Amino acid sequence: MMAVPVEEAIAALSTFSLEDEQPEVQGPGVWISTERGATDSPVEYSDVSAYRLSLSEDTKALNQLNALIQEGKEMASVLYTYRSCVKALPQLPDSMKQSQADLYLETYQVLDLEMSRLREIQRWQASASSKLAADMQRFSRPERRINGPSISHLWSMLKLLDVLVQLDHLKNAKASIPNDFSWYKRTFTQVSGQWQDTDSMREELDDLQIFLSTRWAILLNLHVEMFRVNNVEDILQVLIVFVVESLELDFALLFPERHVLLRVLPVLVVLATSSEKDSESLYKRVKINRLINIFKNDAVIPAFPDLHLSPAAIMKELTTYFQKFSSQTRLLTLPAPHELPLREAQDYQRHYLIINHIGVIRAEHDDFTVRFASAMNQLLLLKSTDGSDVDWSKEVKGNMYDMIVEGFQLLSRWTARIWEQCAWKFSRPCKDVTNVELHDSSASFSDYEKVVRCNYTTEERRALVELVSYIKSVGSMMQRCDTLVADALWETIHAEVQDFVQNTLATMLKTSFRKKKDLSRILSDMRTLSADWMANTNKSESELQSSQHGGEESKGSFFYPRAVAPTAAQVHCLQFLIYEVVSGGNLRRPGGLFGNSASEIPVNDLKQLETFFYKLGFFLHILDYTVTVATLTDLGFLWFREFYLESSRVIQFPIECSLPWMLVDCVLESPNSGLLESVLMPFDVYNDSAQQALVVLKQRFLYDEIEAEVDHGFDIFVSKLCETIFTYHKSWAASELLDPSFCFTSDNAEKYAVQPMRFNMLLKMTKVKLLGRTINLRSLITERMNKVFRENLEFLFDRFECQDLCAIVELEKLLDVLKHAHELLSRYLSIDYFSLMLNEMQENISLVSFSSRLASQIWSEMQSDFLPNFILCNTTQRFIRSTKVTPLQKPSIPSAKPNFYCGTQDLNSAHQSFARLHSGFFGIPHMFSIARLLGSRSLPWLIRALLDHISNKITLIEPMITGLQESLPKTIGLLPFDGGVTACVRLVKENLNWGTKSELKAEVLRGIKEIGSVLYWMGLLDIVLIETDTMHFMQTAPWLGLVPGADGQILNAHDGGDSPVVSLFKSTTAAMVSSPGCPNPNSFHIMAKQAEAADLLYKANLNTGSVLEYALAFTSAALDKYCSKWSAVPKTGFIDITTTKDFYRIYSGLQIGYLEASVQVPANSHERLGDSVAWGGCTIIYLLGQQLHFELFDFSYQILNIAEVEAASVVQTNKNPHFLVQGWDALLEAMKKARRLNNHVFSMLKARCPLEEKTACAIKQSGAPLHRIKFENTVSAFETLPQKGA
Amino acid sequence: MARAGGITNAVNVGIAVQADWENREFISHISLNVRRLFEFLVQFEATTKSKLASLNEKLDVLERRLELLEVQVSTASANPSLFST
Repeated sequence: MMAVPVEEAIAALSTFSLEDEQPEVQGPGVWISTERGATDSPVEYSDVSAYRLSLSEDTKALNQLNALIQEGKEMASVLYTYRSCVKALPQLPDSMKQSQADLYLETYQVLDLEMSRLREIQRWQASASSKLAADMQRFSRPERRINGPSISHLWSMLKLLDVLVQLDHLKNAKASIPNDFSWYKRTFTQVSGQWQDTDSMREELDDLQIFLSTRWAILLNLHVEMFRVNNVEDILQVLIVFVVESLELDFALLFPERHVLLRVLPVLVVLATSSEKDSESLYKRVKINRLINIFKNDAVIPAFPDLHLSPAAIMKELTTYFQKFSSQTRLLTLPAPHELPLREAQDYQRHYLIINHIGVIRAEHDDFTVRFASAMNQLLLLKSTDGSDVDWSKEVKGNMYDMIVEGFQLLSRWTARIWEQCAWKFSRPCKDVTNVELHDSSASFSDYEKVVRCNYTTEERRALVELVSYIKSVGSMMQRCDTLVADALWETIHAEVQDFVQNTLATMLKTSFRKKKDLSRILSDMRTLSADWMANTNKSESELQSSQHGGEESKGSFFYPRAVAPTAAQVHCLQFLIYEVVSGGNLRRPGGLFGNSASEIPVNDLKQLETFFYKLGFFLHILDYTVTVATLTDLGFLWFREFYLESSRVIQFPIECSLPWMLVDCVLESPNSGLLESVLMPFDVYNDSAQQALVVLKQRFLYDEIEAEVDHGFDIFVSKLCETIFTYHKSWAASELLDPSFCFTSDNAEKYAVQPMRFNMLLKMTKVKLLGRTINLRSLITERMNKVFRENLEFLFDRFECQDLCAIVELEKLLDVLKHAHELLSRYLSIDYFSLMLNEMQENISLVSFSSRLASQIWSEMQSDFLPNFILCNTTQRFIRSTKVTPLQKPSIPSAKPNFYCGTQDLNSAHQSFARLHSGFFGIPHMFSIARLLGSRSLPWLIRALLDHISNKITLIEPMITGLQESLPKTIGLLPFDGGVTACVRLVKENLNWGTKSELKAEVLRGIKEIGSVLYWMGLLDIVLIETDTMHFMQTAPWLGLVPGADGQILNAHDGGDSPVVSLFKSTTAAMVSSPGCPNPNSFHIMAKQAEAADLLYKANLNTGSVLEYALAFTSAALDKYCSKWSAVPKTGFIDITTTKDFYRIYSGLQIGYLEASVQVPANSHERLGDSVAWGGCTIIYLLGQQLHFELFDFSYQILNIAEVEAASVVQTNKNPHFLVQGWDALLEAMKKARRLNNHVFSMLKARCPLEEKTACAIKQSGAPLHRIKFENTVSAFETLPQKGA
Repeated sequence: MARAGGITNAVNVGIAVQADWENREFISHISLNVRRLFEFLVQFEATTKSKLASLNEKLDVLERRLELLEVQVSTASANPSLFST
């Protein structure tokens, strides 16, 4: 196999497409497995000796200090995470007092383990202090026999000092430790009674007790160790100068280092001024104002996540221990944070609160990301270009380098801001807790709540979220391009170093240093140990020349790029040598590091050396790319609260007090949606915290606590997020569905508008990295959405089931809103189909069942409430609830959150005001809703049920009618004209002697009313369906080529040929297939076939029948059974007038009865029956073929005729027209009304169910009607007709 | 005054430093490419995961639909008499 160069092989990988469409809305989220990077100097500077600078003593000391720093940090985390054991110790009940000794022993053993750790810390600090002191003494001997201290060495001293100070500070702050210790001591005295030889142990205990109970014990000890020999002042001064200059320059420092320097400076000052010698020498080298400035600028310095330091407070406290220092009144009058006068406090507040800087930060972020991206693009372009120009390449890489440096500085500044804001907040707890808008204001607040939960306003939280997301996004942006930029960075650093040692130093050697032999030796040493004279000599000649040409013009000599950075040891040595040059190896030299006017080096050269010196310091951060990014974006400290946990005496704070969660919550609760895409950023804080707990603090229990909080928090987050998403889409849908004219005329239509929110980024997240797990947020949301839509449907149906039939319009409206919301959400999320969910919730999945939850609800509602309790008004075509019946008891209407209706409260009330318009009656709009909601699937089922109801009712009233027939007198003649109206009415009353059967009468009337209601209902349904069908027809007719003919017949416009849709597709197919470029002719053939199928299907659907006609035919068939009873064939063959007991006669009697009742003063029967009685009665009469009989012989018609005649005769005789008919006005009026209504019904029936045809076609014995319309598909309805009693 | 020691054998050190630059060029070249390879693998995994996730999502939807269809078919086949006519 042929060998492939590594570079090419790797480059080939980039041909893979690795886009995963994941938006960058979370932090880096990587579990950083921090290998020891360049800044840690992996080989412990063992390569330093190779440069033969006689630094072996210095290196040894340096490594020793570094080891101590490492140990010290571990001690500090032990101390920081120390939790009191005493609280967990059990107490014995009285009954077990005899076992007290055993308990003491056990307790002692448990505590002994903890105390041994403290003992270890005590021992360690003693040895560390003495080692540090010895180290300082050794390297500050004026007669200097050894090289050093190097700059790295100085740094190590400072860092170790910092560790010691921190440890001391922590020991002072942790109250539980002395507490635990005193318990320990008590158990020891109890237990040790029987032991021998406890003196040494006791002594040790006393020692430890003194150590633990003395404030600043470590520092005091260090002081003693240091001043054993009186020559550490010099090195202390050097350290102070170094610290002050570094802080003032503030270029090469990242925030962790800056905080180290800030923490040690006050202690250094105290130590330096506490010596026997006159302390004024310090202020000769460093003006006191410079110190005061530094202390003033940073009044609070973060030390531990929830513990801060204040230089002023530390110095004040230390005066009691360092008497000499008490004379430094200028330093001691600095106010500690809690003593600040109001005005200054406000100044600091302005400085510390992120909210005052977020505008600038935002601008910085936007600017930086754009420029960074463009630098990246340039770099990618460069990489993809072969044989690019050397200068261009250098420029692009240099630009990238600059961007990285800027990025690090930005990140460092930003993260430091968060640290410092936290420290400031911790130093100033919220005093006025009640002001804060917390709901449980009655509860008292813990200290931690005062400094965190109540101490951040909403605005501050939002600013914090914003800053966190900037840090995290810039961090992950930089983290991602690590390997891409690495070689460019190396190359640039290499070039910088080479430029300095090969060009700048060469110039210096030639000019200013020519005469100074010592100094020039050092400079040439610098060249020796870092110059790369023969870099990249494998470049081609021509390239070499061309580039050399450009190089020669500007610079003395040219060197070739090489993508290798200097090692940490090289940087270390270079810094050491520069320091040697400027300081002359003399610690006592007055003045600063570089700011020395008395130096023998020209200012210009000094400046160059200084710049390079600090640059070298920063190179290490850049070379340690991933570690630096990880350190700078680590916000894990936001979670930790060990110090407050202890002082609050609780095991853990609730999640509401946790700062990361507060940030998440703030985003979710905030009405402004701008931050929504940052909502995952605070979760990355948990990643950082967990990492810290495991790697830095090394405490499993902390990790467990974080994990528990994350689990809990993420659950809440997902459910709250889903709630927000659902509500948002619901209100969006509802506001879109709101009547536009209503919105137009509404005074404040804005409240119905929905603020747009961007969820689509969050909805794309399939991998949220959380504590090393990958969570598919999208599928979680999908799952919940599927659930909540179903719940919403369920709720709507439940709600409908608790209301009457009139609520169907509201139900439809709400379902529409829900459906539209589903549609809107489906654009971003693949949730289940709405129809599927609807069917599921309607229990309508089965293929063989046609009833649905809604249909059966409508049916049962009709049966139990609508038909008995609603009355018809023929004029308005509406059914309304009768006022005379007591309303049915229904379960109370369930209530739900606003988002189960229309989203927001405002939209709910808007929609409700529409729904209210339809809640009082049942009419055409309701029928439309029913038709739409039930659809062609369940509607036939409902129709069938209603028809059965008719047939049942007929069967039910049949025996009652028989009863009424029986009690009719043998004969009832025509009403005589001579008696007038009064006599006639009396006669009718006498004849219809149903007095004892009033119950029966009412029952029959109710039955007829229900039949009439059903039939009228069918009529409404018919209107609605016809309208729907017509619409459908209008849409399909042009495609099917149908035109209406002259007599309402539908004609085919094309004779025998294909319909337009078919021919269109056929011709298209033919055209496409014939063209040579057609890629897939088969699919066009399929389309043409499908068009034919569609044609057939739509044509078959055209001739739907009329529901009303069908219902009438059905009723007629149902009546056939009773024909013999209700419509007896007269024996004589002539019309039977007097003895007939046909249905019309019964109905006549019933009608006049209820008309009479209706005109009585407390009128009630009409209120109870409405117009549907007429519909029921007349339909039966009509279908029995008795219409003409009825019109001739009906009692009220006869009375009306008589009244007419009477009135006419009265007019003729010119008498008082009201003489005879007096008192009957109302009744006559009612009769006229009834006659009009009856006529209306009859004419409708004639139109919809012509009797001639009926007789012509007849209805089969089986019940199947043979009509002009064939209901072939519903024949089964007749076959299964319950022929009750047959 | 004792100046810093100075390099004792400057020529040898210079040669060694030069050789060191070259050696380290090779080392950093290799290690960078190994890191790139590693990064590629990580990214490949991430991409694959999200592709699988979207595939899974589609399958989920299909599965639910299939479940529904199965239920429907089972309701139908439980009543064969309906189809006999």
